[in-house]
Amino acid sequence: MTELATMDFHSRPQAGDAKPWAFPAPERGTLDNGLTLLRCHRPGQQVVAVEVLLDAPLEAEPAGLDGVATIMARAFSEGTDKHSAEEFAAELERAGATLDAHADHPGVRLSLEVPASRLAKGLNLIADALRAPAFADSEVERLVANRLDEIPHELANPSRRAAKELSKELFPSDARMSRPRQGTEETVAAIDSAAIRGFYEKHVRPATATAVVVGDLTGIDLDALLGDTLGAWTGSSAESRPVPPVTADDTGRVVIVDRPGAVQTQLLIGRVGPDRHDRVWPAQVLGTYCLGGTLTSRLDRVLREEKGYTYGVRAFGQVLRSAPDGTGAAMLAISGSVDTPNTGPALIDLWTVLRTLAAEGLTDAERDVAVQNLVGVAPLKYETAAAVASTLADQVEQHLPDDYQATLYRQLAATGTVEATAAAVSAFPVDRLVTVLVGDAAQIKAPVEALGIGEVTVVAAE
Amino acid sequence: MPMGHTATAQAGSGGLTATEHRLANGLRVVLSEDHLTPVAAVCLWYDVGSRHEVKGRTGLAHLFEHLMFQGSAQVKGNGHFEFVQGAGGSLNGTTSFERTNYFETMPAHELELALWLEADRMGSLLTALDDESMENQRDVVKNERRQRYDNVPYGTAFEKLTALAYPEGHPYHHTPIGSMADLDAATLEDARAFFRTYYAPNNAVLSVVGDIDPERTLAWVEKYFGSIPGHDGKPAPRDGSLPETIGEQLREVVEEEVPARALMAAYRLPHDGTRACDAADLALTVLGGGESSRLYNRLVRRDRTAVAAGFGLLRLAGAPSLGWLDVKTSGDVEVPVIETAIDEELARFAEEGPTAEEMERAQAQLEREWLDRLGTVAGRADELCRYAVLFGDPQLALTAVQRVLEITAEEVQEVAKARLRPDNRAVLVYEPVTDEDATEDTAAAAGDENEEAAK
Repeated sequence: MTELATMDFHSRPQAGDAKPWAFPAPERGTLDNGLTLLRCHRPGQQVVAVEVLLDAPLEAEPAGLDGVATIMARAFSEGTDKHSAEEFAAELERAGATLDAHADHPGVRLSLEVPASRLAKGLNLIADALRAPAFADSEVERLVANRLDEIPHELANPSRRAAKELSKELFPSDARMSRPRQGTEETVAAIDSAAIRGFYEKHVRPATATAVVVGDLTGIDLDALLGDTLGAWTGSSAESRPVPPVTADDTGRVVIVDRPGAVQTQLLIGRVGPDRHDRVWPAQVLGTYCLGGTLTSRLDRVLREEKGYTYGVRAFGQVLRSAPDGTGAAMLAISGSVDTPNTGPALIDLWTVLRTLAAEGLTDAERDVAVQNLVGVAPLKYETAAAVASTLADQVEQHLPDDYQATLYRQLAATGTVEATAAAVSAFPVDRLVTVLVGDAAQIKAPVEALGIGEVTVVAAE
Repeated sequence: MPMGHTATAQAGSGGLTATEHRLANGLRVVLSEDHLTPVAAVCLWYDVGSRHEVKGRTGLAHLFEHLMFQGSAQVKGNGHFEFVQGAGGSLNGTTSFERTNYFETMPAHELELALWLEADRMGSLLTALDDESMENQRDVVKNERRQRYDNVPYGTAFEKLTALAYPEGHPYHHTPIGSMADLDAATLEDARAFFRTYYAPNNAVLSVVGDIDPERTLAWVEKYFGSIPGHDGKPAPRDGSLPETIGEQLREVVEEEVPARALMAAYRLPHDGTRACDAADLALTVLGGGESSRLYNRLVRRDRTAVAAGFGLLRLAGAPSLGWLDVKTSGDVEVPVIETAIDEELARFAEEGPTAEEMERAQAQLEREWLDRLGTVAGRADELCRYAVLFGDPQLALTAVQRVLEITAEEVQEVAKARLRPDNRAVLVYEPVTDEDATEDTAAAAGDENEEAAK
């Protein structure tokens, strides 16, 4: 049964003339203490974003102390030479600011957001945190205990649990990347304030740090503000650390992390591939989007919009660590969750999508829509200061030029269907994918074995 | 013909202005110009949410929201997503207790496309709606429910606490995701009837914000939406009024396979749109918003009995709002230890009120949150719709932060004293069990989710 509508219909409107927009170009400089500074004025953005990158990568953590970079990052906001931990948190909030800090493979990153009217206060606090962190015994003990309490919560979360297992499978057991970023119960328990201070003294200094400041800087004398704050931070000079290469074993295989009774199976299917230094990156971005960037991409067209097996499955490429010489790597993966009874059928369809892509390639129409989206959303995506600051910081962290993102948009627009197909197919080869399934092994093991996508092993959830 | 008036910037609005218009069919339109970035946001709020659902059909408003992306007279299948994304836009829809919203953020030169798309489905959805999309989206929504609630630890806490805090039969007793049984029971005819009842121009507010030409925008709105007939006959939602306080402590203990003990509670608080609600927001911020709050300092920093502790506010206009407490315990700490500490802190706060410095901090935090929300065209469009739909005046969005800054310490103390009491809360306690003796499937961190999204 259909119903006739009574409205007046008009044909689809044509687009107006596009207004020019370009990814903002930052101004680069160096403070007297060696700190690299990128600044970018974004009119109207009343909340200023400040990102600080420290050359303190996870692979620099001492043996047996995985998690020391994470605890150090958290301890930055737990008191300085001027404020106790409680006072520091209170001063930040009094400025209407938020300060987040986290440690990842490329280094430690602090992210401050503060209203432009209180930028001076915010910069003072972040500079104090970096220049003279208290690292008090009692606060570090608390952070360690807190971190230990978090671990069972992460293990109980299907997507976190899947990520942990995939890292363990992909990377050699002696590589830092094979182990949880924030440490295990055993390594975290061994961390104390002396370990934090030792890591800080060895790896944190202005000469190897970069600050990115983005927002409406109208009427703000940023040089003066920085001189009194981040500019007052001192430290020895040092070379940037060499970046070790990333190796991974992507032999096709399946690991089931058993969660008896789970109503869904969490999928994480991945391998390691080229990062942004590789010429294939724009084509890989485009091809990956066509495969699983949105609910109208190939995977969700079938798995969600035709079959209803899932709320959504995404394919993505995420840089793990980059090196100036181009030896870095990105995680290429497909993730989502499907209901338990349909786990086998969903994986059959998923592999069929990959095989069809390899056999028939993408269509020009798919490529066009993907380019229009990826390039067209740029002004939306970078409306806030925080979004711009984050991308500028990523570029620095990945040893890319400051105009990388702007160039990437031009390259995407110039990438053809054939290149995008080739990149997607080599990013997701059907026989070189490591599949992690967090779900009820008793129900899903047999159907998964029948797929022939590699040897199936079952491990306990904890 | 549309008629409108131009508002001048009011104090505390950050220089933002908005104009209001109404089409002959009853569609209210709010426009706000901002030429800093070449983007435009379109937001459409329909005045229908899960509170309008009837017994046996929970989850229908949200399931219906999904169906709005399945095509209309001139838009085939997933065309709505394809057109918007192909134009470099982003989009989604969400369903809450009190409303359903749809939004597109577009490069400014593609604004007209978003208006055409929204009008097409407002006026002609039923010409495309069929069994196939109904069955498919029913499965998608059931998988959404599994992914966000049933398959994560503590995932059903929000649902359980809401059911405790609002009595059986109350329109807010169930949450927007609905139950599996009701999702299974919904029929195509239910969906059709839902559309005919609630999806009308006179039951909606459209806002357009960003790099726009207001006159031309209004002409497009008239062109695309103007011929959609308005209709009456929407039943009023069931009465959501309740006494100001619960009058007793309600309690449920859940034994489930969760990683740690947890204490959660919902306090009955003043309706959104009142000064007392803003005062409650400040009270909850002082007590449990961020890492300098009283509860965080007490439980996480000093007693070290909790791994996380905080308060949130679920603002509601058609029923009492909820103050949302969430504490996950540390190690082997037992729940009564936490509960005693919380009661002490709440009693002390009611007795003393906030310090001047606590007021300053809480107001600075809420001010920044408002700057964040109004800092994007999409955020601004959503807030303009919110104030237009729930309170009849979009201009209130532009002065909301000012009202929070005007609240006094005495008002904060007063609302804490009256509302943040043990006899005005529903308590949910989680006690972990091991795999073997689990009575229910494991369910995580969704906590305070109160919206369902289409993607």
